[in-house]
Amino acid sequence: MSYLKIEDLEIAFKTPKGRYVAVQNINLDVDKGEIISIIGHSGCGKSTILNAVAGMVQPTGGSVLLNGKKVKGPGPDRGIVFQNYSLLPWLCVYQNIYQAVDAALKTEDKADKHARVEQYLKMVGLWDHREKYPKQISGGMKQRVAIARAFAIDPEVLLLDEPFGALDALTKSSLHIELLKMWNLTQRSKTIIMVTHDIEEAIFLSDRIVVMNNGPASTIREIENVHLPRPRNKKETVNMPEYKVIRERLLNLLVDKVVIDDSELYKEEQAA
Amino acid sequence: MAITTTLTGTEKETVKDPKPGMLLKRTMEVFVNLAYSVSGFGLLIALWYIITVASGGELPSPAATFTVFWDLVKDPFYDLGPNDKGIALQLLSSLTRVFTGFLLGSFVAIPVGLVMGASNIARRIFYPIVQVLKPVSPLAWFPIGLVAFQSAADATIFIIVITSLWPTLINTAFGVSSIPDDHRNVAKAFGFSRWKYLTKVLIPFSLPHIITGLRLSIGVAWLVIVAGEMLSGGMGIGFFVWDSWNALSLEKVISAILIIGLVGLLLDRGFAALEKRVTYAA
Repeated sequence: MSYLKIEDLEIAFKTPKGRYVAVQNINLDVDKGEIISIIGHSGCGKSTILNAVAGMVQPTGGSVLLNGKKVKGPGPDRGIVFQNYSLLPWLCVYQNIYQAVDAALKTEDKADKHARVEQYLKMVGLWDHREKYPKQISGGMKQRVAIARAFAIDPEVLLLDEPFGALDALTKSSLHIELLKMWNLTQRSKTIIMVTHDIEEAIFLSDRIVVMNNGPASTIREIENVHLPRPRNKKETVNMPEYKVIRERLLNLLVDKVVIDDSELYKEEQAA
Repeated sequence: MAITTTLTGTEKETVKDPKPGMLLKRTMEVFVNLAYSVSGFGLLIALWYIITVASGGELPSPAATFTVFWDLVKDPFYDLGPNDKGIALQLLSSLTRVFTGFLLGSFVAIPVGLVMGASNIARRIFYPIVQVLKPVSPLAWFPIGLVAFQSAADATIFIIVITSLWPTLINTAFGVSSIPDDHRNVAKAFGFSRWKYLTKVLIPFSLPHIITGLRLSIGVAWLVIVAGEMLSGGMGIGFFVWDSWNALSLEKVISAILIIGLVGLLLDRGFAALEKRVTYAA
């Protein structure tokens, strides 16, 4: 029995125009400590799958099993990093994490909870900014807070919904490293499922990449294994032959027309 | 990280040491605003004077009114029996009633508003009632208050309670119902208890809306108290206006109008300041 099992998952929504099937026939087995990316075009239902694992939406068919138990709702064993940071603007950085820890770990001592917040804020390098409010910090810092919040409740599974989508390339890179660092610091015991539309990001971070078909009623198109050695390093990893092979394959799967037809232009040039 | 820290350090210094030019500019702005206000009132007084002359002295002149006004504010706390009290005592009496009614009304309006905003069923039950009762002038409730409380003073507070209900209730309900999914999802994902959701998500989010409701409520309550006290008599700024009219002193009536306006302005500014304090930037 695998650690996290998604079985014949189907999620449909009721709309005024009738039943809309977002995803169907989703089958996926995830091992403990694996990093999985789900990649696909906008509207292919990749966030929907993540939400089903999170327990934020209920499947209309099939099931999600975590440790053999059916997922029925959100729980402290799964930490979520939302698409748009989702920090509470009236709470400072510290409180944003503390309130989540306080709510998720009900049995822990107050002092332990505070120690936890401190530990994770230091881990993402934001301890000095703990008293600031979300509007006072940059997008990258907000995302670090959101990641620290998800890690701080010490979940078994981390669910990241396009976590770096709104960030510039440089900030994105440094957060990739930071995410892997935190994963290493927790003995690579945490399972991470991430939704993204960034091919390079998916290859650099993941053990496996789930490629989705286009919606509606999308299904899994293919699952790519990434055997790049860890620890990964941006500069070396991107120059490895396997990286290039996987990138090529993903591009072929996701981009219909890789080459722009410019033969007409050449003809004109030659004529001239 | 080091770079970020240094940058923040520089920012802090800038805040601590405002450029000397800034202070001068701010002072200039205040003076310019004051000059506009003064010229506005100048125009009003000029118009008033023209009407006084045109009406052949039916309306008291600005000068005569200001003499009476000065007499009123010079000794605001005198007390010569039930029918002759200083203007400050009258104001105090009105303000006490307004705040009593306003607080009682808010204690009802905020919880009901929270429930209406949070629950679709509650909204569908209460909203029709609100829609019917909201447009009714609070003065129409005065007889009901008299029957219920057997006292004109309590009936006045009762109509202020009714007045204070609607804006606060509607704004609170709107605030609560407009809470974004993002905030709700955070609470759901991390398993916030009902109490934590209420105190850390729902109320902080709706607080600016609630305060806006309170600000509207106190404004209307201050409008209504004058009319209410004209009906109830006895004491208060509304009674003072009516009493002055009966004594045929239009100077006192106009002075009272000015004072009512100024107090209303102060109330509004107070709540505006409170509004600003609780507003967060997303």
